This record gives sequence, structure tokens and C-alpha cells, in this order.
Amino acid sequence: MFLEVKNLYKEFGGVVANAGVSFGLEKGEIVGLIGPNGAGKTTLFNCIAGYYKPTSGKVFFKDKDITGWPAHRTARSGIGRTFQIIRMMERLTVEENVMVGAFCRINDRERARRDAQEILELVNLEEQANAHPTELPIATQKRIELARALAIEPELLTLDEIAAGLNPLETIQIIDTLRRIHKEKNLTLLLTEHVMQFIMRISERIIVMAAGRKIAEGSPQEVARKEAVIKAYLGEKYAKGK
Amino acid sequence: MVGKMKAVVGVLKDTFSFNDLPLSERIAFAAFLVFVFFFPWIVHTSYPRVVMIRFLLFAMYGLGWNLIGGYGGQVDLGQAKNVGFGAFATALMITWWGVPFWITVPVGITVAVVESFAVAYPMFRLRGHYFAIATLCVALVWQKLFLFWDWTGGARGVELPIKSAPNFTYMQFGTIGYHYFIFALFMAEFLFMNWFRKSKMSYELQAVRDNEDAAASLGINVTWTKVKTYLITAAMGAVGGSFYAVYHLYIDPRCVMQLDLSILIAMTAMVGGAGSIWGPILGAAILIPLDMYLGALLGGMGFYGIDFIIYALIIMVIAAREPRGIWGIIERARRRGYVLRG
Repeated sequence: MFLEVKNLYKEFGGVVANAGVSFGLEKGEIVGLIGPNGAGKTTLFNCIAGYYKPTSGKVFFKDKDITGWPAHRTARSGIGRTFQIIRMMERLTVEENVMVGAFCRINDRERARRDAQEILELVNLEEQANAHPTELPIATQKRIELARALAIEPELLTLDEIAAGLNPLETIQIIDTLRRIHKEKNLTLLLTEHVMQFIMRISERIIVMAAGRKIAEGSPQEVARKEAVIKAYLGEKYAKGK
Repeated sequence: MVGKMKAVVGVLKDTFSFNDLPLSERIAFAAFLVFVFFFPWIVHTSYPRVVMIRFLLFAMYGLGWNLIGGYGGQVDLGQAKNVGFGAFATALMITWWGVPFWITVPVGITVAVVESFAVAYPMFRLRGHYFAIATLCVALVWQKLFLFWDWTGGARGVELPIKSAPNFTYMQFGTIGYHYFIFALFMAEFLFMNWFRKSKMSYELQAVRDNEDAAASLGINVTWTKVKTYLITAAMGAVGGSFYAVYHLYIDPRCVMQLDLSILIAMTAMVGGAGSIWGPILGAAILIPLDMYLGALLGGMGFYGIDFIIYALIIMVIAAREPRGIWGIIERARRRGYVLRG
């Protein structure tokens, strides 16, 4: 198993954000993680990438136990990530943002710069290389996050709501980009998303979470028909009066 | 072997090359260097010469502080302790054993670095204002200790033995000699910073400053990056302190470990522009003459303390209008011009 999460619990005080989540990823898969607000998706991501220490349970990456490793160590071992809330280095240029990622593997500045330029081309950002990220629209900043995460040359890329806040056209564009990168870089992708159109189109397999637990798993078509999933989603929506 | 040679050549190139900066900046800096170099030959009165030496000393302090405070974004209000360690190491070793100045400098650096390493990890558990307060407290504790300790001269301070002739072992000269001495030290730190700002560590440090979570996701060990920088800043402060000891030939904990000094060092970089290579130099060029002329002028007229008010006003305006200091204003104006033209 490429990535394996075993019976993961994460509690904040009395609140249980993840209550015994288990799943696995094979190398090269594209897996979507969905669930209503507060299902524990972001917490799960943070536990995998080392931003939170799980209360109990294990995370294995390439058969190595990485449970509780700090974030910079999981990054160096090959787990890249983007953030739900965009986190830019705003005083650096776009190119420099990506260079910082490249410095994870490369010591030489000019080589890191060339690498960054190549990656910016890959995500169609070569023209914005010298701009400052906060001057650019959200969709572009999301691409910068993606470019930066790619610069560390991860084997597993976890994308936390990369399509949130994008319009339908931008969503389709980012799907194209992700598919291209997935093929070219031989990546394994784990994504969370609220935009169903996005997640159903790109994922090969979907894991559904609700209230900190995994409630379903399967292909997008299978999952959409499962009763537990419909209940979790529609029940929640009716409760909110939408 | 060839790879190593290449790396050394690369470092030297980065140290002495300013090619990435706009021509206007390079010309202005060259003019500045020429001016400072010939200053003692242009100006023959002693007070301006003293102001110039103090300016260079504070520009140097500012350059060192700019590492942790500017590029690292960690407001350190305790740099005076490192200046104190350097000053006391030099002063005590020279008075006790007659150790040559150049041997006392690495000792001062070592003391500052070891002490900073000891306090760094607990301090970097704190962020923002809390970190600033912690640095301030640590520096105050050291000042109190040095005031109470008899073996370091206590509150009486240390008087260095005065040599009759200019002396390179103990670095004692006339004003012109000190001018070139501090100018050389300043240039050494400046060239180091010129290398640093282009280094991998500089990019990592700026990433940490701008966003710690993002930096960690790119494989950067956030705490260690801060600690490393904090140690280099400490070392640079100690060098300034060693100079101060042989320049004034008298030190006590109230002049080299004072809170005022910590704040003035931080202000030098922040008023000029934290996180840019020119910031500390600009800041020192404004604050030091202001401090030394305005204070004397207004004091002479009987308006004691007015200079502090003016001082505080400048700081408040800078903090409110442009936190990146004067250099930030220049860069913003330039950027606007670029956008309009482009």
C-alpha cells in the first residue's frame, strides 16, 4: 500500500474530529475525499501531512510509519500539499515562491530558478513569474500553490479544496492541468472538495466522510447512489433549510 | 574537488556582485562608499567624525538585526545583550590578561552564540509580540546580572588600559583610525549580507517569515531556520560590541546592555526598511544624526526630551503608514511608476 491510514483518531479537547478513519491509496490513483462541512476532511489531511499529531492510529507512507512526523519531514519524504485557505509568501514573487519549493531538493539557486520556471510553464503561469502573488486573482493563486507543491517533487500530492472559489471555466481548466500533471509526473493524488462537479469528474475512487467517520467508499457512480451518503448530504442540507 | 571550487567561486561571485540591483541603486551606493571613504579628509572637525563612526556602527548593528528582524520577521528587542557579550569579552580579556583584540572577538562571538542557542528554543515557541517581550526580558536579566556581578566590574564598569601610540594589537587609534576600522567592519558585514540575501537560506527564511505553514509544507524546518538566523544575528551584534569596547575604552552594563540600545538597533532597520539590504543603512543615516544633533541642539536650548518626542513621532508615522520603512515607500513608488508605464 502506497499510503495507509489505520484507525486514525484526532480529538481537540472534547471534540472528536476524526473517529477511527481507515483507508489506503495505491500508487498512481486519484482519490477524492468528500463529506459535508465538519466531516473531518481537513483534519485528516493535517494528520497525514504532519500539521497535527493524531490522538491515536497510524499513518504509513511507502510502508514507513510516518505517524506524528513534523510537516517539513513528511514534505521531504514526498508528501506535497496545498492549503484550503491560500497561504502565499506575499513578499516573494511567484517565481520565488516556487523556488522555495525547489530548494527542498536543490541547493543551487540558478538550478532552482530554472526548475521553478519549468513548473510555472506546466501550470500555465510563466507570464506571472515576476508578479507578487497577492496582486493576482484567487484562481491564479491556487495555481501558484499547486506549482509550489509540485516543486518539491512529491510522490503523493494532497489538495485541500483546490477548486473552492473558482468559476466553472476555471474548474475545468484546473481539472485539465491536474490530469496532465498526474500523467506527466506519475503522481498519486488525494483531493478534498465541495464542488461535486469537480470531484466526480476527476476522481477514480471516492471516500465519503461524515462526522469524523468514513461512511462510504467506491467509484463516483457507486458512492452517489449509497443511502448513507444521500442521508449525510441531504439531511444536512435540509437541516440548514437550503 | 572541482565541484567544491565551483561552489567557492559561486559564493565569491554572490558576495561581490550587485548585478541584480538597478543601476541607480548601484551608483548611489558607490557614491556613498566614496563619500564615507574620504569623509575624514573632507570634514576636519571632530564631532561630525564621531557622528560618522556612530552611524557606521549602527548601520552595522542594523545589518545584523535585519537578519532575524527583517528577513526573518521576528522582532528581537534584545540585541543589546549580544553587543554586551562582545564588549565585555573584549574589555575583560584585554584588562585582565592583555589578550590581543583579534582573539577576544571570536570569544565574544562564541559567548553570544552559545547563550543565544541556550535561550532560542524556548523563545521561538513564542510568536509576534510575545517573542519580542521574551527577547527584551532575557536581555534585561543579563544586564541586571552584569550590574550585580563583581567579577565583571559590576556597575562601575571596565576601563581598558590606554596605549600611548596607535596600536594594532589592541586596536587603539585616533578618530581617523577608528573611522577606517569601523568602515572595514561595516563593509565585511555588508558583503556578508549581500551574499546572504541571495542564498538558499535567505529564501527559506523569508518563506518562514511570510507563512510558516506554507514553508513547512515545502520541507523547511521552521524552528531550526529561525534559530540558525538568531545565532548569526547574535554573532554580528557581538562583533559590534567588541568594536565599541576598544573605541570607547570604557564600558558598563548601562551603556552596552541597555534597553535603549536594543530598541535603537531594531529601529535602525525598521525605519530604514526591514528585509532589504539598504534599509539599515538608510535608517542609521536618519536616526543617528537626528539623535546626535537634534538632542544636542534642543538640549542646549533647554528643551530636554523634545528629541525623543520627534523620534517617537517618526517611528509612529512609519509604523502606521508603511511598516516596511523608508525603503518600502521608495519601492512602492517605483512599483507604481512601473505599473503606470507598463
